[in-house]
Amino acid sequence: MSTPLRHYEVMVILDPNLEERTIAPSLDAFLSVVKKDGGTVEKVDIWGKRRLAYEIDKHGEGIYAVIDLQAEPSAVLELDRQLNLNESVLRTKVLRPEER
Amino acid sequence: MAKPPIRKPKKKTNPLLAAKIGYIDYKDTTLLRKFISDRGKIRARRVTGVSSQQQRQIAKAIKNAREMALLPYTSTAR
Repeated sequence: MSTPLRHYEVMVILDPNLEERTIAPSLDAFLSVVKKDGGTVEKVDIWGKRRLAYEIDKHGEGIYAVIDLQAEPSAVLELDRQLNLNESVLRTKVLRPEER
Repeated sequence: MAKPPIRKPKKKTNPLLAAKIGYIDYKDTTLLRKFISDRGKIRARRVTGVSSQQQRQIAKAIKNAREMALLPYTSTAR
């Protein structure tokens, strides 16, 4: 029944006022959607605070995180939806690296 | 009398990339910065000297990077 797992790369920009140590747990909470659906999280890379090239919602910097995961398309769609609902997420991008 | 302007097109020391990079990653801003002007515009292929396929990938990567505020859409003066 299940559609094949696909490799996705998700980049998230978080509010710079968040505490650094709360980031990993909160990302983990988001990623539970993926795990629940039989997907796997391969790598979570938190870049830390970084200057934005232009302001987003009046923020001059943001906390970047890049997540590599294997999941079904529907699970990733849901993950992206939930991320965007959260106030502390400034921006997201979902990409399939091996496309093209 | 002025010399007739015979321009011999200088062969570009081709795809700086062909050397190593296969997949152009939008996260690699140091690489992508070589392909934008100081105003933030994407450099033309006749300037960069990459293949058209690579140019397309570069353009796409730059646009992705812009969306994530890794590269500027514009930067006035600098």
